[in-house]
Amino acid sequence: MGIPGRFHDGLSAAVHLVELDYERRGEEGTLIVRDAGQGSELARWPAAELYAVHAPKDVLRLAANRQPTGARVIVEGHKDIGRIMATLPVLHHKRRQETQRQVRIAVTATVALASVIVAYLFGVPVLAGRIAGLVPAAWEQSLGETVATQMEASLVESGGLPVCDPDPKSLANRALTRFGREALNGSGSPFELDIRVVRSDIPNAFAVPGGRIYFFSALLDRATSPDEFAGVLAHEIGHVVYRHGLEHLISTAGTGALIGFILGDMTGLSVAAGLGATLIDSRFSRVSELEADRYAASVAQRLDFNPAGLADLIGRVGEDDRFARALALFSTHPLTEDRKAALEILAAERPAGLEPPFSSAEWDAIRNMCGDPYLRSREQNK
Amino acid sequence: MVGEQGSGEPVQVVFSGSRRELGAILLRGYGLLVPTIGLYRFWLTSWRRRFYWSHTDIGGDRLEYTGNASQLLLGFLMALAVFVPLYGLFFYLSTLSTEAAFVGYGGIGIFIWFLVGYAIYRGRDFRLSRTLWRGIRFDQTGSAWGYAFRRFGWSVLMVFTGGLVYPFMAANLWRYRYRHSWYGDRQFSFAGSWRQLAWPYYTSYVAVLLIGGIGLVAGIGLDVWPGDGAQLNPAGFVPIAISALLCGLVALFYQSREVTRMFSSIELEAARLTVGVSARSLFWIYLLFTLGLTITVCLLLVGGLLVLGAVAGEAFAGGSFDMEAFLGNLRGSFATVAAIIAGYLLILGAFSLNREVFIRLGYWKLVAHGAVISGLDNLGGVQARDEDKALVGEGLADALNVGAY
Repeated sequence: MGIPGRFHDGLSAAVHLVELDYERRGEEGTLIVRDAGQGSELARWPAAELYAVHAPKDVLRLAANRQPTGARVIVEGHKDIGRIMATLPVLHHKRRQETQRQVRIAVTATVALASVIVAYLFGVPVLAGRIAGLVPAAWEQSLGETVATQMEASLVESGGLPVCDPDPKSLANRALTRFGREALNGSGSPFELDIRVVRSDIPNAFAVPGGRIYFFSALLDRATSPDEFAGVLAHEIGHVVYRHGLEHLISTAGTGALIGFILGDMTGLSVAAGLGATLIDSRFSRVSELEADRYAASVAQRLDFNPAGLADLIGRVGEDDRFARALALFSTHPLTEDRKAALEILAAERPAGLEPPFSSAEWDAIRNMCGDPYLRSREQNK
Repeated sequence: MVGEQGSGEPVQVVFSGSRRELGAILLRGYGLLVPTIGLYRFWLTSWRRRFYWSHTDIGGDRLEYTGNASQLLLGFLMALAVFVPLYGLFFYLSTLSTEAAFVGYGGIGIFIWFLVGYAIYRGRDFRLSRTLWRGIRFDQTGSAWGYAFRRFGWSVLMVFTGGLVYPFMAANLWRYRYRHSWYGDRQFSFAGSWRQLAWPYYTSYVAVLLIGGIGLVAGIGLDVWPGDGAQLNPAGFVPIAISALLCGLVALFYQSREVTRMFSSIELEAARLTVGVSARSLFWIYLLFTLGLTITVCLLLVGGLLVLGAVAGEAFAGGSFDMEAFLGNLRGSFATVAAIIAGYLLILGAFSLNREVFIRLGYWKLVAHGAVISGLDNLGGVQARDEDKALVGEGLADALNVGAY
């Protein structure tokens, strides 16, 4: 008595109620499918060609190689399934093979993706630098102008970014231009610096792509020595020389694409995408901050100022609190004390007898570019 | 031939899958997503579909999903070929002037909206051509680009008519999908038209306008948007919330009508599908989902607080929460980041688990249990068509995250 089942021949949608028999001839077994009513033979499937496709637990669906792709033999019920599995150990074997194949594909794909991520983390600062090197200087300059326009437009409500001393011939501006020229000397940078001291309540300084540097009056007011001011300015010039602004744009785009790939959401609009991109991009950003610090230290080999002053000034305006420490992985800047330690090592062996970056008259003029800070703060309080 | 087929009685579709089984598949899958950096999603999708398909029984024979994860993975890689140039364009636009970037982003947004239509059609093609019933494959012809243009054109009309054109759009897109669907060598036909949708749609439309308007007026009357110097009155949110809830109910009513009438318009030669879905059972699905989500999130919050209490015990000392001590505790940056990521993933997992187990499974069950097919025994003569080997994966559907089921 055969095992009852259903048979689809894969050629037409007819259903056959069948009885299954198993025939063994020497090494080779064959599954014989017979019509339950008439007993006529509908199919003979060699055991070696059989395999089970996915089905719920109490259902067995058999298919066979070299048969129509839709052809199936279906058996339901624990007892009958148990009998077939006992007769056909090849089914167990093939199922195990298939599982192993899937695991292999998944592991290979995961390893490939993991190596892409690792290559990205270590390669993109280099790659972005290379790509940035290929971008024509004129294009970067026009990009910088766009960035500056956008920034000034976003600050319109708080008064924009008015230049404190628009006269390029003034003592302070001439001193700044000279400092810029000397700091850029020998770097091979295609850009001409445009250093602007602007009036703002925010203590900040930054370089936009293409050579323009903004130094905010609130940061200047907090500087206690020319060392600190020269240090921060040389650091920003370092960003210009290394074209960090452009590099950062390129790496942000790359990170977005990578995160989208991992999450399967190429629109990159989810929280996870934003979080992941922030984590990776802020790491690149910390790398470029340290690079700019090193550049400032190299400028200090030619002009007499202590580059560690830059860490003092930055530390003073943005006290690292516990919160900043806890979230250091998300921060775009390295922690102040780490920076200062690194800068002090770089500043240890400066040659003696260098020219100071600014004469005392020039330093006074620079400090007063935006007017007397005490007078200004009194005016604002009125 | 089979004796039970000769009776000619209408056949009830049976679904035998349980929430517990689907939940187990999903939990295992979510667990494996972490070590595989998200790549397991292709396998998870395949297992989920096998669950739905294999538990759906029509006339004594179950559906079989014959697709596999490698096909989905390959399709996703191919979709990247579309997205990498788009990314380049995106990057280039972001460096141009503000106006150019704005126009460019808008253009790309519209282009992606257009691509979603293509993705939906291709995804459906993939699922149908990998569905086997009684040894014969389903299939879909027609052009995915044609469908994308159609859907895009209709959505533009929707915007310009304030949604009034919807019944025409819905009927047109249903017709396009089903008239290009095949079972073996037989083509489906679709008898539905906008007339079946017009009455429920326009009454719902007017009801939503009225209820929403009344809620807003009542809210404004209670000073929910304070004028000059007036205090904001929180009680004003009550009528707005009530009217929003009522509008949701009206939407469910309409959805039940559309599903019932459109599915019941599908024919395959002499075989006819009839589906009955009630608004009450749809409402029940969303109610269960809300309850499930609330309970899961509460459990997660309690668990999270317990973990925090164990890790940062002194922050809670003295019965109150001390922010300084808490932050001091999170000295190691990696612990903080790991906690943020783990918390986010758990919340995300809870949401998608509840959505899958209550909404998607609930909806599938509802349609399956409400479905009756008459004239099924006339399909015995359907012949298999040639293999459709042109499709590799769902392509854009995976990249744009639009895949249903």
